[in-house]
Amino acid sequence: MPTPDRRQDSTPSTPDPVRERELLARKWAYLLSGEIVVAHTRDALEDMLREHLDGICDALHREPFEQEPLALIGGELDALGLVGEAGLRCTTDVLGPGLLALPEFQPADRNAGRIVLGVGALAAGFLAANRRSVLEQQESLQLSMLKAVRDAKWRLQESEARFDEVVTSSQSGVLIVDLVHPDAVAALREAMKQLLDGGQERIRQSQRLLRKDGDVARISLTTSLLRHADGRPAHFVTVVEDGTELMLLQGELNRQALHDVLTGLPNRQYFGTYLETALRRADPEHGVTLFHLDLDAFGMVCNSLGSRVGERLLVHVAQRLKNVMARERAMIARFEGDEFGILVENTASTPDIARIVAAINDELAEPTFVDDDGLALSASIGVVLRPPRDMEPTELLRAADQALRRAKTGRRGQWELFHPKQDEADRRAQALAVRMPGAWELGEIGVRYRPVSGFGGGVVGVEALLHWDRQDPLGHDECVELAEQTGLVLPLGEWLLRVAGGQARWWRQRDRIEAPLVVGLTAVQSGDADLVSRVVRVLDDTGLRPDRLSVGMPVGVLSVAEAVDNLTVLADMGVRTALHDFGLGPDDLAALEDLPARSVRVARRLVDHRASYVHALVSAVRASGVTIVVDGVRTAEQADWWRTAGADAGSGDFFGAACTPAEVVAFFR
Amino acid sequence: MFPVVRSDWVPQNVDISVPSAARAYDFMLGGAHNFAVDREVARKINALMPGSRAAARVNRAFLGRAVRFMAERGIRQFLDIGSGIPTVANVHEVAHSVAPECRVVYVDKDPIAVAHSELILADEDRADIVRADMRDVDGILNSPQVRGLLDFDQPVGLLMLLMLHWLRDEWGPAELVARYRDALPDGSYLAVSHASDDHVGTQLRNADRAMGDSGSADRITPREHSAILAMLDGFDLVEPGLVGAGEWRPTGPGDISDMPDMNMLLYVAVGRVRR
Repeated sequence: MPTPDRRQDSTPSTPDPVRERELLARKWAYLLSGEIVVAHTRDALEDMLREHLDGICDALHREPFEQEPLALIGGELDALGLVGEAGLRCTTDVLGPGLLALPEFQPADRNAGRIVLGVGALAAGFLAANRRSVLEQQESLQLSMLKAVRDAKWRLQESEARFDEVVTSSQSGVLIVDLVHPDAVAALREAMKQLLDGGQERIRQSQRLLRKDGDVARISLTTSLLRHADGRPAHFVTVVEDGTELMLLQGELNRQALHDVLTGLPNRQYFGTYLETALRRADPEHGVTLFHLDLDAFGMVCNSLGSRVGERLLVHVAQRLKNVMARERAMIARFEGDEFGILVENTASTPDIARIVAAINDELAEPTFVDDDGLALSASIGVVLRPPRDMEPTELLRAADQALRRAKTGRRGQWELFHPKQDEADRRAQALAVRMPGAWELGEIGVRYRPVSGFGGGVVGVEALLHWDRQDPLGHDECVELAEQTGLVLPLGEWLLRVAGGQARWWRQRDRIEAPLVVGLTAVQSGDADLVSRVVRVLDDTGLRPDRLSVGMPVGVLSVAEAVDNLTVLADMGVRTALHDFGLGPDDLAALEDLPARSVRVARRLVDHRASYVHALVSAVRASGVTIVVDGVRTAEQADWWRTAGADAGSGDFFGAACTPAEVVAFFR
Repeated sequence: MFPVVRSDWVPQNVDISVPSAARAYDFMLGGAHNFAVDREVARKINALMPGSRAAARVNRAFLGRAVRFMAERGIRQFLDIGSGIPTVANVHEVAHSVAPECRVVYVDKDPIAVAHSELILADEDRADIVRADMRDVDGILNSPQVRGLLDFDQPVGLLMLLMLHWLRDEWGPAELVARYRDALPDGSYLAVSHASDDHVGTQLRNADRAMGDSGSADRITPREHSAILAMLDGFDLVEPGLVGAGEWRPTGPGDISDMPDMNMLLYVAVGRVRR
């Protein structure tokens, strides 16, 4: 192999050209192997590319310059593996600048033209070879397909030949009576005779066929008589269907694909298909009713008694549902887990929904004994009554599921009818709720602030609120309600606290605003096992003092032990604690006695509830040293009334709506 | 869209209007042994799971390393189940580069892949192909090709790459692997690669759905690391155990992808039969 220009070796300051080629080849191999499938190990690939690079350099040095040798090398590149477009791109990316930078091609501007032509020739040579190889592959694929077809036909012929062999090896030719079991011959002969006499059009029989070795195969046999044009009998045609294991297995597989293995009930897929037919053929007057059941507390059974008990219980439930629906034209299916579907094709005598639901829950309430445990369950049920006939089955199942979800938000054992309007609102809200994390990620959700103002003047607190900046912006209440549904409220609430905490510290440093930060929690947040650690983390990170933070919980959740614990720990830490949504009723007042709250915030709905006894209640609250804040104050008149009643402070549009951090500072000036 | 070719003269089991996993894989690797339907579904999969081509290449590279690893430890006969379209860097090519006396039996159920392999291997007396479903263990092990080329008194290198995730749970994948394991002679090795959604989340499911939507009956059951490990019971896994395809003894950039997820889409392992 010719070596590169040695004259430059004598100058020590110039790089070693041999080494430079090696480096370029190595880089080429490195990048190429990360791009394409190569038929060689990395070392082998590097060696081959090194050889090709030498060939390329030689061709570029040759006088007069010819493109042919480079095109040949381009062709050889195709044989490295599945090079393709990606490999070619990688090659030109490496070689274009790489060759220009090689010491042997300096000064580069004198050789650039030649190198461009050379890389182009390489690419052209590669293209030609690649095209050949693609065509060859396609050709060989076509050949393979033809061969596969021929092989398949050959296998078919072979089995036909085997059939011929079976038939012709029986002594008296192709006579079906020689193949059937001897016991059945007489009956078959008789039937065929009737066929011949015209007494019958067709014979359909289950038969046992004799194999050559005397074994019996189960088949079904249909024989018809073909006649000549003049009506004379011509010959019998017999169709034999295999009834052996394979067929039985196929039937069983079909059954399994459509039925739940545990309960033997139809599964959801089958139910879905059936729905379509049932909807179409339903009595137009009475229609159909779809029930979607979910067993309450089934998870508890599995957790405490094991999933095997759970499974047996499901079998019982399936049986009981069958009992309840025995008189109706109904299909009962098991969906997944502990969910069942019932489709009733109504008639004039079908009981109303309430009665069916009651019957189901009565039946399920009867204890079932699994091992020694008497178990009784209730079911929550979503119902779709008389859906339109053209409703899509999937849409119908979704509607039932939606109704079930609403039923489950109440107590257990409830049922709920599907209402299209309610559904639409639910769906809109759900769509918003599921988009919320993305919106938060994109920075569409921000923190706004509004003042809590003393009735005697001055700002006594700043409340941090969420704000979703979208075409139709959503305020704090809507934001937390949505976030509460998905559980997003936990991280989102911590984030709110963190952002507002940092902001409060900044205000204190820059504007000397000392008013405490007010944050209201939702029910989920109040009972969150991590609430205290979240608050501690934020206080640590932002440097906000605990007594500069007021955390409020809805008074209604304080029947939950976790929430009470959280409130108590926060109060012990020195955080100002408050009861929000305070109702001024006896329960709420009792809660105030038991809980370490420093203030209460009267529920917004009570702003206009200005009964005279409120004065007395307000003073009772104040007497215990608790501050009273009124939320939702919109007018001067409302503010006046509550000030006279003895309340300390208020928030609401009258005192200032939620605004940006800069705007809220103005309230302090 | 692409025209649906449904030629009547093509028997049912040679249906070229439905893409085949083997041919789509060939396209992803850069091969041309594929039809328009195969390319279409491969493009869709690549759009739903960007980098799947890289994952295909990473799997192919693992195949090479696994065969070389076994051959360097004295394995001279290989059974490659799910060989697909024989393309660049075949098992027999890699094995022969280490030891020319190696014998290889390929197994695939795709009639076209099999026909193609027969054409390619026509002049090769140390390699052959069996057309069979991988679940037909007895059929494969008793096939004339396996009986003729492989000696079950000597260790065998069993390759099941990109195969086990086609087995649904109810088909008992672990039991199937165990049946092969029990049939393998002492000193034999197994190499597997298996798709997992541990790292790619829903992308793999979407890609699988695209395959299903195209009419293909083969659906992927991705499994988590522990489930795949459980399938390899009875094998002593060589270092580094069951890991992402890019993490198994990589030798260079050809063995890994720039996209971390694609190095982890497939879990791979090589194990030696424990007796």
